[in-house]
Amino acid sequence: MSVVAVDGGELPLGGGLLALLRPALALLPPGGQLALSSSAPSVAQDLPAWCRVERHDYLGADPLPEGRTSHRIARGSLGVARAPEDGGLALPERADPATGFAPRGAAVEPGGPVYPFTLVERDHVIPPEVGMLYEQAVSSQWVAARDIPWDTVKPLPPALEQALGQTMTFLAENELSALYVPATFLPRIHPAYAEVAMFLATQLHDESRHIEVFLRRARAGGGRLGVSSVTTSQSLLSLLELNDFTEAAFLLSVLGEGTFLDLLKFVERFAPDEATLLLTQKARVDETRHVHFGLAHVRHALGHDPSLYGRLEAAVRKRAATMASAAGVPAPLADALTILAAGGGDPRGVRKGHEAFRELLETMHENRIRRLEHAGFSPEQAKMLSDLHTPNFM
Amino acid sequence: MSDPTILVGAVAYDPKAVTIWEGIREHFAEQGVAMDFVLFSNYERQVESLLQGHIDIAWNTPLAHARVRRRTRNQSISLGMRDSDRDFRAKIVARRGAGVTSIQALPGRTLAVGSRDSTQARILPLQFLRQAGVDLSKVTLLPFDTDVGKHGDTGMSELEVLKALHDGRADAGAVGDLIWVTEQAAGRVDAAKVEVLWTTPPFDHCMFDAAPGAPKEKLDRFQKGLFSMKWENPKHRRVLELEGLKQWMPPREEGYASLHEALDLDEKK
Repeated sequence: MSVVAVDGGELPLGGGLLALLRPALALLPPGGQLALSSSAPSVAQDLPAWCRVERHDYLGADPLPEGRTSHRIARGSLGVARAPEDGGLALPERADPATGFAPRGAAVEPGGPVYPFTLVERDHVIPPEVGMLYEQAVSSQWVAARDIPWDTVKPLPPALEQALGQTMTFLAENELSALYVPATFLPRIHPAYAEVAMFLATQLHDESRHIEVFLRRARAGGGRLGVSSVTTSQSLLSLLELNDFTEAAFLLSVLGEGTFLDLLKFVERFAPDEATLLLTQKARVDETRHVHFGLAHVRHALGHDPSLYGRLEAAVRKRAATMASAAGVPAPLADALTILAAGGGDPRGVRKGHEAFRELLETMHENRIRRLEHAGFSPEQAKMLSDLHTPNFM
Repeated sequence: MSDPTILVGAVAYDPKAVTIWEGIREHFAEQGVAMDFVLFSNYERQVESLLQGHIDIAWNTPLAHARVRRRTRNQSISLGMRDSDRDFRAKIVARRGAGVTSIQALPGRTLAVGSRDSTQARILPLQFLRQAGVDLSKVTLLPFDTDVGKHGDTGMSELEVLKALHDGRADAGAVGDLIWVTEQAAGRVDAAKVEVLWTTPPFDHCMFDAAPGAPKEKLDRFQKGLFSMKWENPKHRRVLELEGLKQWMPPREEGYASLHEALDLDEKK
């Protein structure tokens, strides 16, 4: 058996010796031996006592030249931290809640408390694209105050100003839900899959920025916020009440934020000024990333668990049932989008605005079907699920 | 029919005694063993309660255990101990620069010692010094009689001994090796001021005691529950850490011989 040698110099046990001894012992397997050479006479008395307290075996001492002594220790078998063999590069198929916040790859001392993480299965939590999406997210952050030309905002005719205020109010309200809903899942994700939590953190930051710019735009031209409707409120509550991470990713990111991409594109198309155009465009780029992550998550989970199709369909049906009393797109929003597309309250323009709004609903439906098929649903399933989607868009 | 609940006595030397015993009780309950505990304020009362049959089992210090053995003419039943209770030692620690280079140099000097009922910081270090030929009548004792009745459990008197050495009130002092090592490992001992001088022979520490004639079936259930606690189990580990052990061990009596000799000597006085 090979013996690890440690030179303790003249350090006493309580004078720094342990800083050499403990890390050397930590590298040994249980029963592994270490020889400590020391010229401090007190070590002969203190080391056996320390070994007893720490449950290592003090094997004895041998004299060395020049008054030094070699103390032999065998590492005890209790409290030996286990390191993953591959250094933590591979994702565990199932994460152990007793490893707590230990970073993946750390050697974890056994006997630690069990953490309340519930998202502990690789194939339900972490899609392979997450690293790439995280990189994208951190390199595409933008600053509302710096990157939006707020000075291009000028007062609009009253009808248009009101329509814009209403649109921004709706966007901010929905983005608030997109901030809160993923946040409820973040602390449930096992830190072995920290990349997912870190991506969600970028998503939360994105939503914060979107809320900031939508509210700022609503007021920038001297206008006010619009109405928060019961349909929106019911729809968003049904998202907040979700308890399953994959169902939430599906309903919020794939269906909700996916539909939002078309909405943002619509606002962008009819933006009355450069600031509105840029802020919706930038928000749409961020949202595209969220949709991408949601799709990756759902596709990955579906690939490993085909029973999920049924569960996701049931989640959509259940949500549709809670929204049964909603007649359609919240009226204040439908009106605002029509006026926005019309460029104001002129009746001739409004006819075109109304057409544009109807086209938007059709585009949303078509793109939802495309995304659902991309996630792995059949064309029939995709059409049915899209039909059941909330009239609130998110 | 008598109550099947095993009633265990322990001394509340610290508020954590409640946490420890509630943890142990929970573990026993999970094993299907009905156990409850009674907390005493001192070991003298606990020993009396055990001998009068008010409790089934007492978690005793070495001094309380030795008294139970003597009072029952060795008929009491020892049930188990901590791994850390075996081969305990005491240290005679010296202040650097005080010129105390061996225990033979102690006469004429001041020796700080712990509470009069502390086995590790007073009774046994003095007994071992005596056996090693040190004339204690010529040593000035600086005693710290804190927490009397707790038999040194709190460690308070040992910390006082170390403090007295650090600030020069004593030339040497007696402490248990547990406190000595853990205080050093925590960086609370100034190695430039204080160093170990002498290590006593080993002795054993705490013990679960039952009175003679206690129902065997109860004691068997108790031992089974106790020995099934495992360091690797997070729930057990929390309790074991608080109680200062990594594993429960079977009982043994030979580790108390030196303490009985010290008590014999005391009785002759």
